Amino acid sequence: MDENPGLSEEYRMASPWPLFVALGLPIAEVGILFGLVPLAVGGLVLFCGAIAGILREAEYAASGWRALAALSLVIAGGGLALLYADGATESDLVVRAYSMVGAGVLMFVGGVGGELFARDAEPAI
Amino acid sequence: MEITGQLLLTVLMGAFLLGVAAFLARVEEWRSYTPLGAGGGAVGESGYGHAEKPAGLIRWFTTVDHKDIGLLYGAYATIAFVVGGLMVMLMRAELTTPATDVLGSATFYNSLLTSHGITMLFLFGTPIIAAFANYLVPLIIGADDMAFPRINAIAFWLLPPAALLIWAGFFPLPDVLPAQTAWTMYAPLSAGVGNGTQANVGVDLMLLGLHLSGVSATMGAINFIATIFTERAEEVSWANLDIFSWTILTQSGLILFAFPLLGSALVMLLLDRNFGTTFFAVEGGGPILWQHLFWFFGHPEVYILVLPPMGIISYVLPRFAGRKLFGFKFVVYSTLAIGVLSFGVWAHHMFSTGIDPRLRASFMAVSLAIAIPSAVKTFNWITTMWNGKIRLTTPMLFCIGFVSNFVIGGVTGVFLASIPVDLVLHDTYYVVGHFHYIVMGAITFAGMAGIYYWFPLVTGRWYQRSLAKAHFWLWMIGTNITFFAMVLLGYGGMPRRYATYLPQFATLHQVATLGAFMLFVGGIIWIYNVFVSWMEGARVESGDPWRLEATNLNTAEWDWFDTKRETSLAATDGGEDVQTDGGQESQRDS
Amino acid sequence: MADIFDKDTLLDLTVNVIPLGIILFFVVVFLVVDPFSGLGAYGQVLSMGLLVVPFVALAILTYVSGKAIAGDEKRAEVFFQGQATMEGAQTRHEAEAEVEGEGEQSANDAEARTDADLGVDDGRGDDEAAGTEDPDAESEAADGDGGAANTDDGAAGEAEATDEP
Repeated sequence: MDENPGLSEEYRMASPWPLFVALGLPIAEVGILFGLVPLAVGGLVLFCGAIAGILREAEYAASGWRALAALSLVIAGGGLALLYADGATESDLVVRAYSMVGAGVLMFVGGVGGELFARDAEPAI
Repeated sequence: MEITGQLLLTVLMGAFLLGVAAFLARVEEWRSYTPLGAGGGAVGESGYGHAEKPAGLIRWFTTVDHKDIGLLYGAYATIAFVVGGLMVMLMRAELTTPATDVLGSATFYNSLLTSHGITMLFLFGTPIIAAFANYLVPLIIGADDMAFPRINAIAFWLLPPAALLIWAGFFPLPDVLPAQTAWTMYAPLSAGVGNGTQANVGVDLMLLGLHLSGVSATMGAINFIATIFTERAEEVSWANLDIFSWTILTQSGLILFAFPLLGSALVMLLLDRNFGTTFFAVEGGGPILWQHLFWFFGHPEVYILVLPPMGIISYVLPRFAGRKLFGFKFVVYSTLAIGVLSFGVWAHHMFSTGIDPRLRASFMAVSLAIAIPSAVKTFNWITTMWNGKIRLTTPMLFCIGFVSNFVIGGVTGVFLASIPVDLVLHDTYYVVGHFHYIVMGAITFAGMAGIYYWFPLVTGRWYQRSLAKAHFWLWMIGTNITFFAMVLLGYGGMPRRYATYLPQFATLHQVATLGAFMLFVGGIIWIYNVFVSWMEGARVESGDPWRLEATNLNTAEWDWFDTKRETSLAATDGGEDVQTDGGQESQRDS
Repeated sequence: MADIFDKDTLLDLTVNVIPLGIILFFVVVFLVVDPFSGLGAYGQVLSMGLLVVPFVALAILTYVSGKAIAGDEKRAEVFFQGQATMEGAQTRHEAEAEVEGEGEQSANDAEARTDADLGVDDGRGDDEAAGTEDPDAESEAADGDGGAANTDDGAAGEAEATDEP
């Protein structure tokens, strides 16, 4: 962890992202479990966006936007897997699958767009 | 879901995301104005004015400082404890009469019962331990902070949504009923089959909430393991690691193996409920599979909850016995032994389910074996006090109360480990009495010992001594009245989990309610005392408020406190000598 | 190996040998008595596994932790719990030396001191001379403390600190 080790009172001890990782996860879970599209999409965007923010802040990723795009692929992949599973079960997974794929596409566009047009909006380090 | 509903949700979600974006922009703006990183230089701890943190509410929402997160955990656990306590007060009120005269409905009682258990175990027990561990472990082992500060913050912030989901059934939401599955969530009831109401969304939400709390606990555990392994100061070798950190390390190991299993089992249950899988259906894996999975998590969970409180007792009790802990390494090794063996005893919760008698016998053997390490600790605490110079401060009273209650709770438990005894007492109030002696009489008492002991450290103020003593005595007597009555009820054959009972049990139930009322009053006194004292208690006037220096029993976290005090006093009166044995300070302590 | 697992360390580890012994006892009993032999071999294997796996796991963990703790005791200074990072904290050996000194000094004024106590103190003196070769100050201190050392502590403390509540 690149945290500028030193006395604990000296380095920065605030980060806005953890709260939103923790909010995004339950919202996305509820949305996907009950098939509520807005909650699923919004929750996933919040969750992945905050993770991308943390990765950037901790300097695990050089660019938050690219991290977001990478995460979007994982989510979209999960959605496609659900779509595939839908054929194998009786329960209706289509809405859930499309909301995940949709969230993935949305974030991918956001990530690529941000990388191209909004580099200045990178969170300050 | 109709179109208008979806539309409304979309608008709400969009507005919420915009709000988040605005908030982030604001925080980022604050950040770009703040001199970062290099600010403090080598000034030591004098930067304790939090130049690195934003002010006000935003500080608490964005903090990744282990001490702040410890305080957040503590506040959260306190709220959950109050909620769970109020729930059980309603239940005890209901149980004053054999019929459902007070609450009017057994279903509401069942909901309270379920929620009380889950709230106390997952939303109070685990977080209050995390509160102590977050605040103290880095201070004691000389770490700068936790190994992963942001993961630490995520782990905490998962808990409030978890609580909202778990309690969702009690909120006035349409079509959402509270779960009535009891905290063990046995299938097939929890799988929502049959004609009851347990197929409703409220149960799904509760399962999701539990899942979240499990994720949170796992993240916290990984963090503690990494911290204790890698962030210790150089002098803190394994031989020098204090007993509290040892118990946290063991507990984190248990969490690491137990909670992911709970999470998986919960997901399987959710799939059974919503997507037609048959993990726990009779035609599939069978309801007993749930019991195996649940208790493979559930029994280690017992030790997850009790080991760190044992660590607090092993840490605090010697300070007021005027001696070092007797047999320190016995306690360490027996902690580790409990950690391993706790995974080999799960089916002693299932003796009466008709599993293979040979398996039962094996589980009995290991269950009896695990009594030894616990007994070793008990003997060590007693021997530590033996011939010691005991100071009956409030934390010490709670420590002694812990030992006393733990003896009763532990001995009643050893009998349950024996198959023939268990077959008679299974699912009676005897079991309820036994585990409440542990969770209330021991775990919560240890939590209180810790809260009173470190109150000056955290707040820089003293709590009110006489109120604290009143709290202790109300709780000590109340605990023993309530839960001993339950043990007797169990001998009489009163089954657990019922809202109604035969008239012959009325007297003992009323006695138990009386005891619960004493606990209630004691709890109110505690809350009042902590809040008022935090705001306007007498200030601590030395860096060694418990005067541990005199017996050479002071520890690293008080050293830190002393340094902090001196640096903050440096501008005014330059601090003061710590070694004012028995002087003015002593009049006010305790 | 033999260095680390000397007599004192083995004594510390007995605390985990007892549960191991209990499990072993039941293994033998179930093998000898075997009241459910008619139920087939699979359950037999499972039930033995349920005893053997915790036994082995506990034995391994006891060995590993014993090695880590006793090894660190040899390698570095040993402090009392929670004191390692404090400036000027006493090591166990220093503390013992001091207790011994005080014991002799205050022998006259402490009421309940017996010759036996002093005898223990003397014994401690030898350990002290042996220096760092006595890794297990704890069990020594613990056992001895029950008698002599703690009476000392108690007496010393009494004199300095009028107590609180």
